[in-house]
Amino acid sequence: MPTIELRDVVVDVPTPGSDTPRRLLGPVELTLSEQRISVIGANGSGKSTLLRLVNGLVQPSRGHVRVDGLDTVRQGPAVRQRVAFAFTDPLSQLVMPTGREDVELSLRRRHRRADERRAAAEAVLARFGLDGLSDQSVYDLSGGERQLMALAAVLATDPEVLVLDEPSTLLDLRNTRVLRERLTALPQMVVLATHDLGLARDADRTLVVEAGRVVFDGPPSVAVDEYVRRSGG
Amino acid sequence: MSRGDGLFGSYVQGTSVVHRAPLAAKFVALLAVGVATTLLPSWWTGCLLLALVVGTHALAGLGLGRLLRTMRPVLPVLVVLFAFQWWSQDAAMAARLVLGILACYIAAGVVTGTTSPSALIDAVVGAARPLRRWLDPEAVGIAVAVMFRSIPWIADAFGEVREAARARGLERNPRALVLPVVIHTVGYARATGEALAARGLGDPVEGPQDAPAGGSRPGGPGAPSTNDGAPG
Ligand SMILES: Nc1ncnc2c1ncn2[C@@H]1O[C@H](COP(=O)(O)OP(=O)(O)OP(=O)(O)O)[C@@H](O)[C@H]1O
Ligand SMILES: [Mg+2]
Repeated sequence: MPTIELRDVVVDVPTPGSDTPRRLLGPVELTLSEQRISVIGANGSGKSTLLRLVNGLVQPSRGHVRVDGLDTVRQGPAVRQRVAFAFTDPLSQLVMPTGREDVELSLRRRHRRADERRAAAEAVLARFGLDGLSDQSVYDLSGGERQLMALAAVLATDPEVLVLDEPSTLLDLRNTRVLRERLTALPQMVVLATHDLGLARDADRTLVVEAGRVVFDGPPSVAVDEYVRRSGG
Repeated sequence: MSRGDGLFGSYVQGTSVVHRAPLAAKFVALLAVGVATTLLPSWWTGCLLLALVVGTHALAGLGLGRLLRTMRPVLPVLVVLFAFQWWSQDAAMAARLVLGILACYIAAGVVTGTTSPSALIDAVVGAARPLRRWLDPEAVGIAVAVMFRSIPWIADAFGEVREAARARGLERNPRALVLPVVIHTVGYARATGEALAARGLGDPVEGPQDAPAGGSRPGGPGAPSTNDGAPG
């Protein structure tokens, strides 16, 4: 598995009308190399900020984030080739009108020729069992189909790490189960944030985030208990 | 759901002559329709031009339903325009103008309806290549495709906001209409930009395919991988 390192990482944002910045996250010190990692915590605790650091969508105000030794700030493009990121809402992720077009968009860098790209996209869609839906408007897909299509689009380039921000939030029970099965089958390293404690338990290691700090780091079942306890449950 | 259904962004798969025509030819034809509308000598030549364009629409197999759907949003504008021109000029002049606009509009719909977004990006990337010292052609191509996709989205956002305003009895208040649309649109633009950035689609394209196609990686920590700011 690849290694994700966060060294003394802090994320600050300027506060309007004040000189002291607001701290969203940190300081955080982490080395992640397990295949399945989940991040749980209350709304606004800093989960998304932590995930966004991993592929350079958010840059640390202090410290370094590295993926396989590549710095997310200085070597951002190389990091993004290795780290795919999927958002909660697949519609903000799918930027093309159909799944096929979106997968082809992902493959533009790899295949310059249109016919090669098309063939490669077909292969990816078939691999995810989505070939029957590839020409349907993304607006006409069900929520679950859309989420799987968005995953196929970001996985098309064979990244080494997949980062997911609340992938099951918009899904019903059945589609959540399908998603969990698909994720379990992935050979990649997966880092996900979730409010779904069942999904969180699928991991090898779980981080509990509270007010911008990692307050627990360990086995999922213990982490979930700790989170429930801290939430007054 | 009607999102994405409209003049732009609604590519319809097909194998018609129009689908197979090179994009450059379609652009020239579109331009020709535009020029022709300014040269129309009479209202019935306007009818002729419109018939030609509608015929092409049919030839492309785009269907009557799509034609009516794409025309619906512009019809009220055209009716007002016609009435105004009739009142200020005369009926023949008004008809010529409105028919010309309609012909251009439908012709544009034929181009977007028969050109896949990928083909569009490829064409734009090709056209932007001479400018590559200043602009990344890939980025220009993706920007154009995203723009095409965004137009129906914004139009639909307007429809949704109008419904929400009507539900609150505010449909006559322009602020209750415009402000939410702007906020929606900014949010949408941010989300789209972020999604593109997360996929590395905004990153400079590396040199002649030195990127590893999965599998092996060029060195470990400290490998001299200076991708930043060196686009060819
Ligand atoms: N760009 C930004 N500017 C200012 N504040 C921000 C920014 N991004 C996030 N925040 C704030 O940082 C805090 C942490 O946000 P984050 O999105 O990481 O939380 P989260 O744990 O993902 O929450 P949720 O479960 O609701 O998704 C929140 O209080 C949020 O308002
Ligand atoms: Mg979040």
